[in-house]
Amino acid sequence: MISNRKKPSWFVGTGVLLLLAVMALAGCSTTNKTVESSGKGENASTQQAKTDKKLVMAYTWKPSGVDPHGDNSWDVMRSGAGETLIRLNEKLEPVAWLAKEWKQDSPTVWTFSLRDKVTFHDGKSMDAEKVKASLLRSIEKSHLAKDLLDVKSIDVAGPLALKITTNQPNAALVSNLADPSTIVLDVASMKDEQSYPAMTGAFKIKAFNKDQSLVVERYDGYWGEKARLAEATMKFITDGNSSLLALQSGEVDVATDIPVDNAEVLKKNDKLQVLSAPSLRTHMIVYNMESPVFKDAVNRKVVDSLIPRASIVSAIMRGYGTEASSPFPSILPFGKVERKALDGTAEQLLTKDGWQKDAQGTWTKQGKPFEVTLLTFPQRPELSVMAEVIQSQLLKEGIQVKIRKVENIDDALTKNDWDFAMYSMLTAHTGEPQYFMDMFYSSKSEANVSRYSSKPLENLLGSLKLAKDTAQRNAVTLQALDIINTDLPQSFIVHPDNVFGAKKGVKGFTPHPIEYYYITAQSDIAE
Amino acid sequence: MIRFILERVAQLIIIVFVVSTLTFVLMRLAPGDPATILLTAHNVPASEEALTALRKELGLSEPLHIQYVNWLRDVFTGHWGTSYVSKESVLTELWNRLPATVELASAGFVVMTVLTLGMGLAASVKSSGWLDRLGRLFALLGSSIPSFWLGFLLIYLFSVCLGWLPSMGREDWTHLVLPALTLGAGLGAVQARVLRAQMLELGDRNFVKAAKARGFSRTHILFFEIFKHAILPIITLLGTNLSFMLAGNVIVETIFSWPGLGKYFIDAITQRDYPVIQGYVIFAAFLIVGVQCLVDVVQAAVDPRLRLH
Repeated sequence: MISNRKKPSWFVGTGVLLLLAVMALAGCSTTNKTVESSGKGENASTQQAKTDKKLVMAYTWKPSGVDPHGDNSWDVMRSGAGETLIRLNEKLEPVAWLAKEWKQDSPTVWTFSLRDKVTFHDGKSMDAEKVKASLLRSIEKSHLAKDLLDVKSIDVAGPLALKITTNQPNAALVSNLADPSTIVLDVASMKDEQSYPAMTGAFKIKAFNKDQSLVVERYDGYWGEKARLAEATMKFITDGNSSLLALQSGEVDVATDIPVDNAEVLKKNDKLQVLSAPSLRTHMIVYNMESPVFKDAVNRKVVDSLIPRASIVSAIMRGYGTEASSPFPSILPFGKVERKALDGTAEQLLTKDGWQKDAQGTWTKQGKPFEVTLLTFPQRPELSVMAEVIQSQLLKEGIQVKIRKVENIDDALTKNDWDFAMYSMLTAHTGEPQYFMDMFYSSKSEANVSRYSSKPLENLLGSLKLAKDTAQRNAVTLQALDIINTDLPQSFIVHPDNVFGAKKGVKGFTPHPIEYYYITAQSDIAE
Repeated sequence: MIRFILERVAQLIIIVFVVSTLTFVLMRLAPGDPATILLTAHNVPASEEALTALRKELGLSEPLHIQYVNWLRDVFTGHWGTSYVSKESVLTELWNRLPATVELASAGFVVMTVLTLGMGLAASVKSSGWLDRLGRLFALLGSSIPSFWLGFLLIYLFSVCLGWLPSMGREDWTHLVLPALTLGAGLGAVQARVLRAQMLELGDRNFVKAAKARGFSRTHILFFEIFKHAILPIITLLGTNLSFMLAGNVIVETIFSWPGLGKYFIDAITQRDYPVIQGYVIFAAFLIVGVQCLVDVVQAAVDPRLRLH
């Protein structure tokens, strides 16, 4: 039944495969032409595109909703739909947005004058009463907003004037009002489940497709410069490789959070551009102050001095980052500090501290080798590479490092079986040092992962709250950083850049150190 | 037959009970505090007060055995909890994503079935021919290329190089092509070899020789004598792989940003969304055991001998 007659030779099968391969190669060699013509049906809609430009962005995160007062406030802010009373400029200074001006009446009382002729996306006018309701809702819905604002009461002092009283002096209040968790919305619009939140941005929400996309369209009643784009879509592509391929295939115009390795690939494509800006993130090492080895400051200082920061920036970060000398990058006025030089060589310090090298070249003290466990985690792959580089460098100097990769770093740090760990943190998410310093260095804070305690530092953190102006705040912060850099509960390694990929025609999409503003009224795309 | 079906349903309930208990235990053993993860989602440190309040709100401050009893009661009464992230019912969340997964699994199943039948039959008819050799090559590639790699290769070829098909998302039918191919091609190529082997083995049996002797046509013998018997193990394989596609196409959905259950599950793991992870595992157990029951019933209907065992 089943045929057994002489079959055509292997040549036929091989020929089919070769044909497929040639087709594939031919396709690749004509990539640019194909993508251009298949992009968005240009021929048919060129005329329309002139007045109706749309931008598609591959967005790494996946918001679960569009309520700006929940866990998705950043996503809503980045869509261009939401605005806050205060905005942070490129120097991260607080500037007017929905609030026109403000003054501090007393250490705990502030008055904000609101901008006139602002309307919500449902057409209603913005006034002090509505802003008060919005702020109270954000405090109720968001733990972060509650912590940042620390509000005792909010009073309407006029149709467009708002008086905010804080529980204790909170000099960071103005900057903290730029946090996306305080986006201003018409609270009444949240009662209608069929409509989207009515905010005040240059774009209003057109459609939210769970797990897929957030589409915003130009809001014609916007109080400021009207949006240049008619529509913008944020496609939720959580996989980095898929995002990169979508950009290369022309399906998206911009892709956020490009890994630095992929940036090199994009640079080679003459239709794409790589955009980057310094970020407010810091990759660091946190020391366990209860570790038998690292409770001794000398050992922390020796390790800190041996970290090859320059080669980490050039080889691992591919130049997309800057060497760190404090938790805050130097783009911030209070981030301009210098690392303290070691008082002697590592060898001299260790010898003075009672360490001696054994026959294998390893430092030992009272018979115990200088052997430490370094934690790292997979979610930020560059940190694991850095850990290996640091391990190798320390080994050369006679310090044994055992690397342990943990799935959840925050959980692992709550235990005590580690000596030091790779870590990464957005340190000044409102352009202000206060919140991070309180959480990271207060002995009462659960987020104080190093278990570091310093009375002088805590006194300074108290003074920071009472500081009256920016100059005074910066001065106090610099004093605090001096203590931190002396005690070294952490070693700050690098401030990575934010890297985006975009088509060459994309304009007005400027990476910003603060990661709040992606799609704005100025975002545009070439016709 | 009714007793046969009842037995399968009883097995389904026992399996789901065991799976739910194991899931609860494993989830609680896994590292990571959901309250911390939720609050630090944007890498902003969380205050102690906020953490305590959130743990209380999520029911994580209760003793473990109380959490377990509450969980088990809720599972069997249809209250699968609320997602920590979206604050919506887990059952609703899973149910909303099921159509996308069913759509993709169905398309993958079609690709797999067409390849299985097409390549399997062709290779058995032309055994040792170039089609057979090509089938062997595809089966080798299908079993050795991981689906994530195949997915990226297809995207690179058809989206980046040729610009013919979209690389991600779920909008129109064109978005379905690449993920369905990724899902069904490898499995189809492997199953085709199984069908081929079955066909060749049955081709030498006496009942086939008898049919030939009675003068039946070549087509009749191929489809109504050999294929009819060879398809039985293939039905089992198709069923097993359909369950895999429904409950386990996590990687394909992630690569293609397909908004189905698998991608939702991966995101839930990243965010330590316990109720969703637990709910998904039980949902998947229901799907897998349910499809297997269906396969058993279909097989029993096709081959009455199976009902005796």
